[in-house]
Amino acid sequence: MSQPQTADARLLASYIPATAGPWLSEADQVFDAATIFDYIDGAGEVYRSYNMKRLVARRFHKDGKPDIVVDAFDMGTAGDAFGVFTHDLDGEDAAAGQGSTYKAGLLSFWKDRYFLSVYAEEETAETKELVLELGRAIARAIPGEGKKPALLGLLPPDGLEAGRVRYFHNHSVLNYHFFVADADIFELGGTAAAALAEYGRSRLLVVAYAEPAAAQSARASFAGAYMPDAGGKSIVKTENGLWTALRVHGRFLAVVFDEATEEKARARLDAVEALARKTG
Amino acid sequence: MKPITRRDFLKVASAAPLAGALAPALKGAPAAAESKVRVVLVRDPGPLGSGGAPPADVVLKMLDDGVKALLGETDIAKAWKTLIKPGDTVGIKTNAWRYIPTTAEVEQALKKRVMEAGVPEDRIGIDDRGVLRNPIFQNATALINARPMRSHHWSGVGSLIKNYIMFVPQPSAYHGDTCADLATLWELPAVKGKTRLNVLVMFTPLFHGVGPHHYAKEYTWDYKGLILSLDPVAADATGLRVIQAKRKEFFGDDRPLQMNPHHIQLADTRHHLGTSDPARIDLVKLGWSEGILV
Repeated sequence: MSQPQTADARLLASYIPATAGPWLSEADQVFDAATIFDYIDGAGEVYRSYNMKRLVARRFHKDGKPDIVVDAFDMGTAGDAFGVFTHDLDGEDAAAGQGSTYKAGLLSFWKDRYFLSVYAEEETAETKELVLELGRAIARAIPGEGKKPALLGLLPPDGLEAGRVRYFHNHSVLNYHFFVADADIFELGGTAAAALAEYGRSRLLVVAYAEPAAAQSARASFAGAYMPDAGGKSIVKTENGLWTALRVHGRFLAVVFDEATEEKARARLDAVEALARKTG
Repeated sequence: MKPITRRDFLKVASAAPLAGALAPALKGAPAAAESKVRVVLVRDPGPLGSGGAPPADVVLKMLDDGVKALLGETDIAKAWKTLIKPGDTVGIKTNAWRYIPTTAEVEQALKKRVMEAGVPEDRIGIDDRGVLRNPIFQNATALINARPMRSHHWSGVGSLIKNYIMFVPQPSAYHGDTCADLATLWELPAVKGKTRLNVLVMFTPLFHGVGPHHYAKEYTWDYKGLILSLDPVAADATGLRVIQAKRKEFFGDDRPLQMNPHHIQLADTRHHLGTSDPARIDLVKLGWSEGILV
């Protein structure tokens, strides 16, 4: 359901051109976290899990051609705009905003506290060019830039696949990228901040909780559900012959999955802890 | 073969604690000696129209062939009279998703057969998002559940089980744990015990999605099928097998759906709405077999 235009919605709408080549825009629709399902049947929960504030949707139409749809999300913070962008990193870099991908008629990018999806309902050479032009125009119109979440500073750079880092708050989103367990055994609860990084075949999950007690509780939860055979240790060799290890430092919990050796798993956790000490 | 890992065991379908569970699981379990649930998959190789459905006469024939095979009847009128009584008020719960709807051809074929079973037109409703406000659905004594299967960004797949989510005022209340407990929708008074037929539309299924709307035409294909069953779980489980097989064919690996469609298995194991185990499903295949995938 469309909502009355607020100042924030008007500002966001002002970044979107009125026309896209010969395609003309229709009336904007504005949604918030409560009404997004009136518009999106599919990924609405993803945006809600990143604390979306509002969505301005503008459809561009030209008779006989596929429609082009701009979905402009105000995520409230740059961290969550970056995070929702990392939900789907497949595709080619499209040189738009502070990070972008293009695939199958869909351009996604983030800039400042905004996440943008520019989508052609059918990909053709013409619509691809138009989608990219439109998206880049929107990106240029957004004046500011945002900072990535500070949590990413705890990811050791050695071996990190920098373009494959995910940031999220929800265990279902974790499972989307790397299935761990159906239950929320990390006790993310939709409020903790988590980063999942790839180091070759291995994964590193770093979670920031509100307080150290929450990190300790999550440690116990994860160890009990996932490592009951570890005998109280914080490292275990799993069925695939690889190593899983965990560590808590203050309000941070770090887990290495599927590392080739015990030493490498411990070394990565050492590196996370060193970075955590450095950042305080 | 990939080893079974603790992550496999931490899917909800496994209720056993992890400790001590890994080794026994490798042994497998004997199949229960139960009667099988019938599911009919009917396909036609002819071209699809611009709306994504075969021509109306082809859809009607597919539906008729499917219903007859499902019920073991040779006469379509008799078959429908076992499903619908003249005194029924019938809601055809459809799905109006912009990109892949149930299609008017399916809706009208169902309506035609319901009318021929003796129900007057003014006691037949076709609706999706308006069911809670629709007097036909408010007074329905019988429901026919018809929707396409497609991958879905939160529930794994949009399914027959999920199609009843519009019978609640706040559908997002059922989104927890990626829609794990959608089967509880079938306990709602507006729904419980009323479903006479489930039709899973597989004309142009979506097997993968991108973006906020979780749609890209390149991730659909012309499967040209209908799946029918009295058991929504069995129909969904069969449709899911088709989707997963297509993903394997397209991507070249066993890539899991973006979200775990565990609501189908849980509809069986947790909520006992129907049967999800392919070993307990009698799949009857009719018509075009090329590219059938299951």
